[in-house]
Amino acid sequence: MMQRFLFFLLFAITLFLMSCENPKESRNWKQASWQEIEQQANGTTVNFMMWQGSPIVNDYINNYVKPTLKEKHNITLNISSGQGPEIVQLMMGEKQAGSEKGQVDMVWINGETFFQLRKIEGLWGPFTEKLPNSQYIDFNNPFIGIDFQQEINGMECPWGINQFAFVYDSIKTPAPPKTLAELETFVKVNPGTFTISNDFSGMTLLKCYMAELSGSPDGLDGEFDQQKYDTLSTQLWEYINRNRKYFWKEGQTFPKEHSKMDQMFSSGEILLTYGFSEGGIEEKVLQGLFPESTKGYAWKNGTILNSNYLGITYNATNKAGAMQVINFLISPEAQLKRAEPSGMNANPVLDISKLPTEYKDKFEKITARQYGPSLDELSENAIKEPAPEYMLNIYEDFRTYVIEK
Amino acid sequence: MLFVVFAVLPFTLAFGYALLYSFGIIGVVNEGFTLSFWKEVFTSGTLGTSFLYSGIIAAVGVFLSVSLALWVVLKFKEGFNNKYLSFIIYMPLAVPGIVSAFFTYQLFAQSGFFARLSYQLNWIETAQQFPDLVNDNWAIGIIITFISLLTPFFILLYLNIYKDERIEELSQLSRALGANKKQIALKVSLPIMLKKSWVLIVLYFIFLLGAYEVPLILGQESPQMLSVLILRELKQFDLTKTSEGYVMAVVYTVVIMSATIFIFSRKKLRNNAY
Repeated sequence: MMQRFLFFLLFAITLFLMSCENPKESRNWKQASWQEIEQQANGTTVNFMMWQGSPIVNDYINNYVKPTLKEKHNITLNISSGQGPEIVQLMMGEKQAGSEKGQVDMVWINGETFFQLRKIEGLWGPFTEKLPNSQYIDFNNPFIGIDFQQEINGMECPWGINQFAFVYDSIKTPAPPKTLAELETFVKVNPGTFTISNDFSGMTLLKCYMAELSGSPDGLDGEFDQQKYDTLSTQLWEYINRNRKYFWKEGQTFPKEHSKMDQMFSSGEILLTYGFSEGGIEEKVLQGLFPESTKGYAWKNGTILNSNYLGITYNATNKAGAMQVINFLISPEAQLKRAEPSGMNANPVLDISKLPTEYKDKFEKITARQYGPSLDELSENAIKEPAPEYMLNIYEDFRTYVIEK
Repeated sequence: MLFVVFAVLPFTLAFGYALLYSFGIIGVVNEGFTLSFWKEVFTSGTLGTSFLYSGIIAAVGVFLSVSLALWVVLKFKEGFNNKYLSFIIYMPLAVPGIVSAFFTYQLFAQSGFFARLSYQLNWIETAQQFPDLVNDNWAIGIIITFISLLTPFFILLYLNIYKDERIEELSQLSRALGANKKQIALKVSLPIMLKKSWVLIVLYFIFLLGAYEVPLILGQESPQMLSVLILRELKQFDLTKTSEGYVMAVVYTVVIMSATIFIFSRKKLRNNAY
């Protein structure tokens, strides 16, 4: 019995290994016409790895994107869960194993992951020019065409655009701080109500602060400058260490994740939080997590405005299908649905002026937000993502000079 | 044979992979053999601190759980015949660590249940006045959770030992020979129970040393317990430093494996322990 089982196991392993060999030479989709791509994509399955942490995003994908794709293009969209580090780990693992047939065809990423995936050459492209709907995107907009000071060069397709914003309860905090000097006073008056999360959001916050210390909103633009970084970061750590005793838990520890800050904000433990998607206020007030008096704003020197993107993996088995899906996701129709206030309420990445008239009207009719600030209100205080090396160094040095001190 | 296929083989392969990665021999962004990752890990001291920190937390956690279990068993052994009481004691056995950690967080955070209760009772005026019990410097939250996870198991174990080793009869005998309650506990019951369970105690210590979810949710950012630290290093933003995570994983595995082999190779104790 045992032997028979082992035999079967070995047989299964052999079969599995055999199936891994001889990947079908995938055709060169970069030369193909859109018609051919559409034809090939018809009736296929696309595997999409995305962050599934938001119920409204999941709702948009499951109840709108999936059925519409099936109906219009006969494509089955499979979602698997994973964001930044998981995607990078997966791609590194597949690269390592020399896998020609990736588990995932397309991924939802931001600049941090784009930088990492470019480094390990985990993305396939350029492909954005192939997509008919990319005509509606203004790639010359520096907040769209440049991701962390790196030109996207068609290696990823913008899907959404959003700004980092501060969040406060207008009843508890009538006048929230807007500069580092004001923040210093604020934490002294309200000790224990402010902190910095040790993750992507917190590091973005530190980049905004560093830009303020540089003296201008575009102070960190351009290539990474070690000398500039050293000067500014020394000032920044000095500022934080000087004031940390007035932070949450007297600055002895920092929350691991930004989601924890949102929880603490809703329970009243802290008075100030922050985040991308203009602070995520609309969604959380409607969910009942944040009070209705919640408001958002940008720092006086500016907060970071950036885009998030869709990429195709270097070893995607269904590149044609992935392109078809991405083309659909940036279509005026899908972006309009995505912008609905009752739904995802996300800023369209399309240039409205380039759209056909019927859509122009529809986008303009979309009602304003009830609670959160609009992108237009904040755009005056928008700054670009600095080069990725700033993030890299801030991550490391925040731990060395603040957390471990 | 089956054991080799399912347990040893994957483990050896994974260990080999980590070892190669730690020397930069494999890895997409690595450039070939180097000792720099090992040097970096050993000069920075983070791993040493984390070992010490994890060791202390695990030791305190196991010590308190075992003491509590021994006390409960010796004091209330008759009560376990009561269905409901034993149900309450054993119920935590079915709760996974991550759920238990969330419970602890919900109960003991400065915005949690007890803080709210204290506020309603006017014991405190602001959330910050409530003692710091999660994500705190003394790892109190982690230890509380460990105790809640381990104690029921040890109670179950000691009840069995108590029965199997006929401690009840031995106690009666000692009493007949003139020993008082304290003497019976310290010189008869406890030595037998500890001797019979010490291998399990050590194994649980090792288990706690490598705990992940509980310190992830309830721990602080520095120092961190071993698994949390290693995973952080493996997933970090700077891909050129991923190998440092593998160095830590290799060191950790070697230490734990040597300790385990050492414990089980002491034949004398193998026979009469649980």
